[in-house]
This record gives sequence, C-alpha cells and structure tokens, in this order.
Amino acid sequence: MDYALQQLLNALAFGAEYSLVALGLAVVFSIMGLVNFAHGEIIGVSAYSVFLAAALGLTSPFVAVLLAVAAAALAAVAFERVAFRPVRYAPTTTGLLTAFGVSIVVQNLFMLLISPKPQSVSILNGLNQMWFFGPFAVSSLQVMELVVSGLTILALVLFLNRSTLGLAIRAASRDFATVRLMGIKANRVIATAFAISGALAGIAAVFIIARRGSVSPDLGFSLVLKAFVACVIGGFGSLAGAAAGGMLLGFIEVGLLVALPQEYGGFKDALTYVIIVALLVYRPEGLLGQRVELGDKEI
Amino acid sequence: MSQVIENTAPPAATVMRPSSALTRSLIGGLVTSLPVLAIGLAILGFAPTYYTYLALGAFVNLIVVVGLQVFMGNSNIANLGHSAFVGLGAYGVAILSTPLAMKKLSIPNAPFGFATLQLDPVSSALIALVVVGIVAAISGKVISRLSGVAATIVSLALLIIVHSVFLNWTDLFKGNQAFFGIPKVVGLPWMLVSSVVVIVLARLFKDSRWGLQLRASAQSPQAAAALGIDARRLRLMSWVLSALICGLAGVLYAYFAGTISPKLFYFQMIFNTLAMLILGGMATVTGAVTGVIVLSVGLEFIRSIESGVTIGSIQLPQLLGLSGVALGVVIVLCMAFRPGGISGRYELDELLSRFFRRNAK
Repeated sequence: MDYALQQLLNALAFGAEYSLVALGLAVVFSIMGLVNFAHGEIIGVSAYSVFLAAALGLTSPFVAVLLAVAAAALAAVAFERVAFRPVRYAPTTTGLLTAFGVSIVVQNLFMLLISPKPQSVSILNGLNQMWFFGPFAVSSLQVMELVVSGLTILALVLFLNRSTLGLAIRAASRDFATVRLMGIKANRVIATAFAISGALAGIAAVFIIARRGSVSPDLGFSLVLKAFVACVIGGFGSLAGAAAGGMLLGFIEVGLLVALPQEYGGFKDALTYVIIVALLVYRPEGLLGQRVELGDKEI
Repeated sequence: MSQVIENTAPPAATVMRPSSALTRSLIGGLVTSLPVLAIGLAILGFAPTYYTYLALGAFVNLIVVVGLQVFMGNSNIANLGHSAFVGLGAYGVAILSTPLAMKKLSIPNAPFGFATLQLDPVSSALIALVVVGIVAAISGKVISRLSGVAATIVSLALLIIVHSVFLNWTDLFKGNQAFFGIPKVVGLPWMLVSSVVVIVLARLFKDSRWGLQLRASAQSPQAAAALGIDARRLRLMSWVLSALICGLAGVLYAYFAGTISPKLFYFQMIFNTLAMLILGGMATVTGAVTGVIVLSVGLEFIRSIESGVTIGSIQLPQLLGLSGVALGVVIVLCMAFRPGGISGRYELDELLSRFFRRNAK
C-alpha cells in the first residue's frame, strides 16, 4: 500500500514537472509557431543565476526562488528579442533550427564561462524533506511540486481567460493578423507569452535544483526533450494537451520503472519513447490535437 | 498543342530528352564533387599523416551531411535523428567483422552466436546496410505519416532509443566503453570514391521525378496532393535513402578509425552535421558540400584555440565549449540573415553555366 502510494505520488510529481515545462513550450508555439528548443536553456539560465547568487552570498531560499523565476522570465524575453524576432515570420523549420542554435550557444557558454562539470547548489535543499502522515512518509518536494504546479496551471488558465492581455494571447493563437488589426501590439503579446513560458520554466528550475542539489550545462536539455514528447502526444500547440501529455508521460515513466526488472532498468528511456512513437502511429495529431489540414477553414 | 510540336520534332530529340536530363544531372553531380575530389587528392598527395586523419573524419561528416540533405533538403522536415543510422552502420560492421580473438576480449557474451562469427569487411558492410535499411523502413513508416514538428520529435525519439540500446545492451554493444579491434580497411582513396558516389546519388535523387515531386509536396502540400502526388511514399523513400547514406558513413568511419563508442553517434554529431548543412544551404547538394568544407576548416581552427594557445608570450587558457558556441552562433546568424545558406537555390554546375553564359554574351 505504502509502496503503491509512493509510486503514485512519484508519477504525479514527475507528470506535474513535465506538464509545467510542456506548457511553457505550448504557450509560445500556439502563438508564433515556434518550436522553442532553447526552453531547456531558460531553465539552465535560471539555475545558474541561483548558483551565482549563492556564490555571491545570497543564501535565503526565498530570494533564490524569486530570483529563479525572474531570471527565467527575463532570459525568455531576451532570447525572443535577440534570436527569435528576426525569424518571426519564417517557416517552422527555420524557427526550430534557430532555437536549436540558441540552445547550443547557451549550453556551451555555461561550459566556457563557468565549468563543464556539475556545480553544487545547496540553498534549496531545505525544500526536500520527509513528511510523515501517520504511517506514510512522503517527500515534501513531491507534494510541493504537485501543489505548486496545480496552482500555477490554475493561475495560467485564469490569466488567459480573465485578463485582457490573456484574451489577446488566446486570440493571437487563433488569428494573429486580426489581433494586430484590433490595435494590439504584436511585440507585447509575444513578449508576454515568452515571459509566461519563462516563468513556468523558472518554477520547474526551482524543483530541479532542490532535487539535484547541483547545476550542470545540460541541466534542462533532457527535461525539454521529455516536454516536447509531452506536447507531441498531447497535440502540439494545445495547452490542455501539453498538461495532459506531461501527466501521461510521468505515469508511463514511473509505470515502466515499477514494471521493469532491475537489470533492464536502463531501457526505461528507450521503452518510453517506443510507447510514445506507437501512440503517434495511431493518433498522428496527438491525443487532444485536432486533425487540421492546410486550407481547412477554422470554425 | 504539345502533340503537334512532338510530331514535328525529329524523332531523335524526343528519344534523347529523358536521357539528356539524366546526363545533365549526372554531370552536375560530378561537377559538384570536383572541389571534394580536388581537396582529397591534394591531401592524398601532400599532407602529413595528422591531416590525413582529420580529412578522413571530415569525409565521414561529408557523407553524413549529404545523406541528411537527401531527406531534409527535399522534404523540408528537420531531422534530428540521423546519427542513429551512422551509429547502426558502425556498430553493424564492428559486430560482424571484428576478428574472433578481439571479440573474446570485447564481447564474449554476445547473443545469437555473434561471438563466434567473423565475416569479411565487404559482406559485413552489406549486412550492416541491410539492417540500417530495415530500421529506416520501420521508422520511416512512422515519420512519413507525420508532418512538421511531430516528425522532427519522432526522429529525435529514434536517436534516443538507439542510443539507449547501445548503452544498455552491453553484451552486444559493449555499453559505454569503446568497441575496439575493427579491421582498418578504409583509407582516403575509398573515402573519396564513396564521397563522389554519394554526392552523385544525392544529385540524381534530387533531380529525379521523385525528388521533384517531393520538393513540390514540401512547398505546397495541397497543390501536390491535387496533382496526385503521394507525399508519404516519397518521404519514406527519401528517408530510407538518407538513412542508407548515413549508415554507409558509419561503416566507413568504423573501418578507418578501428574504434567506436556510443557517444560519437549522439547529439554532438547532430550539432556538427546540422550546422554544416544549414550553413551551406540545405536546398542543394552543393550547399551540403560547401557547408562541410567551410565548417570543417573553421572548426579545426577553433579547436586549436580551444585547447589553449600561446600568442607571443601570452598563454591563453583552455576554452572548452568555444567550438560549440561558434557552431550555435553560425546557425542562429545564418537563420536570421541567410536562411537559404551560402549556396542558396543553385547547384554549382547551374551557377557555373549561368556565369559562363553571361560572359559569352
């Protein structure tokens, strides 16, 4: 019982983290059609700024959390300004490859300027404790991850549905040209979308640092690969799809970890991706995606 | 109308037309491979051993990039998984052709009797390519069903799956450790011949009816579909051809280096080869060749700085990651300012013939 509960919590916590990162990707994709490969490096910038702050003597965990989120949002906006604005109207492949380039540059800058080796960051270790509920012991980090992700997603939904800017973002994801004709500034909408996407990455970064206790140049890369997969299984560009895809991925991973014998544990990644690809064979447009053909009129 | 013209034209011309297109494409391919041939022969004739070794590596990259061009350039779908095929080709020949004495040291517990099997290099290469072809056909079935981003992510998934199998199936692939003792049977001449053949093949595919239809379907899916073009079949076809060329690169790499390890065929190779193709221009085979030549020279220069150099009396520190930064900056700048790459839309022979025609006037 205890074991099953623990694994369920594991799956929910992993799923929540993937959902957060996948939502960040989906927000940007739905508006400007950019496949932001550099999203992992936004997590990286966030984590490294916490590392640098700690090195400079800012050891309050509260400040670290704020800094992580702020740095990520700023980094996302800066990436947009420097790299993605010139390719805003270019085909998807161009945007994807640009983002790939940004990702390589930033990863290697961490290597060049700080160190290729992992660096330890212990400020946020306090978040990772054991909580006891009667007979059950659960990791505080996992509970927080689940709760915070849930609240963040709720806040995002409220923002998108209730605020003018949120409405503009949603409208822009349907028909950007008309939104601009209504007098809404494209740059502002896109910058906001990037800031939101960055803030989501920053929250994910807090949990990553707390769990790993260290930062390394490729910190965000493998996580973002997973988030891509979550987006693709959910249906690229659909926010609900991204969240659902993230959760599903979390459950697949933990499920495989439980089901696979110890000596085959290494094949977990391979099998996860095989399952994903198999899913795509049956639903090429993703679980919650719509089958859209070019030239179809949107209703 | 067109019938009238064909009837009045001399019969020889109508018979000549298809074959002359083929000849033009063939000659075009050979012209495109001339710079490669010239560089290769110069290195073969004059260069010291160290440079020969570097050149062999660059030729492997060339074949990979040309292979990548066959799929990406014609279908306009970003492929981030091609080094999986390079790895499969390399491990295929490693497992089949390594001498038995070596195998006892490296993979004594290999399943399916591979531990007691040793084939000659040529049949090993052929079998390895068949395996690459089978994997490509299966993965291509999935990829050709998807479009755009989803296809790219599946190509990435393929890379991770193959890498994960290399790492974890230690009995067969030796895991994280280097696989050594592969017969070193390939030198620069073989590499040159293969490069030329691959370049010509890529050019023939691009100019063929299938290549043209595939490019049309990438430009305008609806118009192509309206003309009865089966884009899925064409994507599958170019995916398999692209994979076979990448697999060949892997086979050649294993046969000249003698040692391989899984990390050679992971993201680093994707970064390098993709940057080369983008810089040169992925629409043309000439672009692939140009990108490899420019970036191979450029990266070698940066690598010499990266390991720490002495300028006058100042010793610069080691700058790990510098070549990575340079690669990324090349991609970003290229996408922003010249998305078509250096060569743009025209092949080398087309540029030359335009140039001569202009001068003749």
